Amino acid sequence: ILQCFLSLAVFGRAIHAIARISDEFWFDPIEKGLALRSVNSSRSAYACVFFSSMFFQHYCWTAVSQPCQKEKQLSLPCKLIIKSVLPVFRCVNVLERNVERCSISTNPSGHHITFQLLCRHGVVKTYNLTFQDCDPLQAVFAKHMCPNILKVHSRLLADVMIHFPTSQEEITLSVTPMKVCFKSYTEEDTDFSRTMLTEIQLSPEEFDYFQVGVDSEVTFCLKELRGLLAFSEAASVPVSIHFDRCGRPIAFSIEDLLLEASFILATLCEAEKEAATPEPACCPRPWDSSRTCMDKSDQTSMDRARIADTATSKKPQQKGNTPSMVSAKPSNALAKQEVKNIPRGSERDVPGRAGAAMAKFHSLFFGAVSYKEKEAIGDTFQSLVTASDTEEEFGALQSSQVL
Amino acid sequence: MRFRAKIVDLACLNHFSRIINTIAKLAKTCILRLTVCKLYFILSDKVANGGASMWCELSQGNFFDEFQMEGVAAEHNEIYLELVPENLSRALKTAQNAKAVKIKLTNKHCPCLSVAVELPSLSSSSRIVTHDIPVGVIPRRMWNDFREPSVPDFDVSIYLPALKTMKSVVERMKNLSNLIVIEANLSGEMNLKIETDLVAVTTHFKDLGNPPWASEDGCESNTQDRDLESMAEACIDIKKLLQLLAGQQVNPTKALCNIVHKRIVHFILLHEEVSLQYFIPAIA
Repeated sequence: ILQCFLSLAVFGRAIHAIARISDEFWFDPIEKGLALRSVNSSRSAYACVFFSSMFFQHYCWTAVSQPCQKEKQLSLPCKLIIKSVLPVFRCVNVLERNVERCSISTNPSGHHITFQLLCRHGVVKTYNLTFQDCDPLQAVFAKHMCPNILKVHSRLLADVMIHFPTSQEEITLSVTPMKVCFKSYTEEDTDFSRTMLTEIQLSPEEFDYFQVGVDSEVTFCLKELRGLLAFSEAASVPVSIHFDRCGRPIAFSIEDLLLEASFILATLCEAEKEAATPEPACCPRPWDSSRTCMDKSDQTSMDRARIADTATSKKPQQKGNTPSMVSAKPSNALAKQEVKNIPRGSERDVPGRAGAAMAKFHSLFFGAVSYKEKEAIGDTFQSLVTASDTEEEFGALQSSQVL
Repeated sequence: MRFRAKIVDLACLNHFSRIINTIAKLAKTCILRLTVCKLYFILSDKVANGGASMWCELSQGNFFDEFQMEGVAAEHNEIYLELVPENLSRALKTAQNAKAVKIKLTNKHCPCLSVAVELPSLSSSSRIVTHDIPVGVIPRRMWNDFREPSVPDFDVSIYLPALKTMKSVVERMKNLSNLIVIEANLSGEMNLKIETDLVAVTTHFKDLGNPPWASEDGCESNTQDRDLESMAEACIDIKKLLQLLAGQQVNPTKALCNIVHKRIVHFILLHEEVSLQYFIPAIA
């Protein structure tokens, strides 16, 4: 049961940002705050925005009763369709002026989440949105293990991205200790006589924090990132970029006292180009489906179908991910690091695949977390939202984040 | 073949950008002709362009601080490039407060115009944005296709009304009809007419003035004996007219059109350093 009131503009902008990733998102309230999460259909982008309870004017969350009760309970978290939520927060600027209060609530007997806007002149808009029960998805990504960390004001990132056309799908970020370069990405078989290429060079001095441990060139989907850029500009908060070599995910995150947002995007891996089947991918294709270990839940069957599809489809640049290629990869060493973060729960579920999966691990790992696993997982589960390199109030979340 | 140029002055850069924006609205692809003194943007009257053609001429000295070019050969010291002006427009769009803009002809994956914009930044070194715009080099044997069109033997020449007014009128007419008739006489009167099955709309302009054209060799021009009230008209594609009017970002110093009765309308827009001519053929 959740009831909260909040300041609209930022919340609305967060929804818009998440909308860039996918059509649906996970609505996941916990004692400490509300998390909104989303992952795109190809599992190559993950977004999470966490609002601490202090963000809300009033936040009240009570634990759900045991599922063994006869009466159908609202068991949070749940999945909502973004299209139904977006109209609630459609014109954020207008909202700020006209809406005095917004409340989000759920009740045990209903099957709805209710968004209620109290507007001027006594107008009350109530939106009852249905949802799907599900287990939440959470990305496991050890930000603090990334050798390359950049921190920059959102204004600068916006100024950089403005030079790329809105139709630009993917861009490449290339760093050395001496310079930073964003450039448009083109596939090998692009017709260069028709394509305009753009490149922006920045000096490390422009960044608030600049750490380049390894020269790298990572290519990621710009379209999905634009949501976070708009959001961080509105929140006027610096953006941190954590990344590694190509093929490893790149994380864009912002945080302040009241909220934390992270967008984790897969990156293209161009190191291995053995007989790559070129596919006009809009965004980097997902890694091996066997990596996506899902716990048993309603959502799983649906996702398994999706996963099966991606497994059989052609995998372009990320060659290392096809099940048939279990060749030793330079990223093996890194893969082993990541394995440590796999929740024990999921390892139990897919014991056979864990070993094989290590060799193929390339980028992002998703684990489904279910309430049933709560005790088992304990502290080994590292959630994105509580990366250990940040040391403020949310340190306390590390243990309570377990669901 | 080499070309490099540099703009440092912001006002020149903005003016140049505006011209490119206008060109981009008129043509999807056009020819850029470079000579030692001038730049030309040319659209030839091929069927693919809907028969409309364009000739835009500017003196490089008015815009560039540095301008060096070497043509295909010593006797033909010119370069003809085919490009998409929208790309150039986009490259310059974000250069509003640039320290300098350098344009260079390069050959990376293919012949390109590289536009390098140096932007101010908070740090000691500037931010550099480079756009590589692919271009096609036009071989010398095809240069004859792109000669300057001559002023047609017109029946009436008249100054245009305020372009903003004309644009808003034509914009509304576009919703009703695909064709528009422009007619004018030597008494400074112009009408814009559309006619459909349901409705006919005419907008009348008066007191526009007719520009004096000096006749060459003293021989009499078409207009000498013409009845002052008699209208010369041409029915043209309304979209083409709107493209011309909508693309104007600055009021020209002089704007006039020459009408050859039922044949062609020739628009001439003059700014201080730029002249733009646009030809729209009449539709039978």
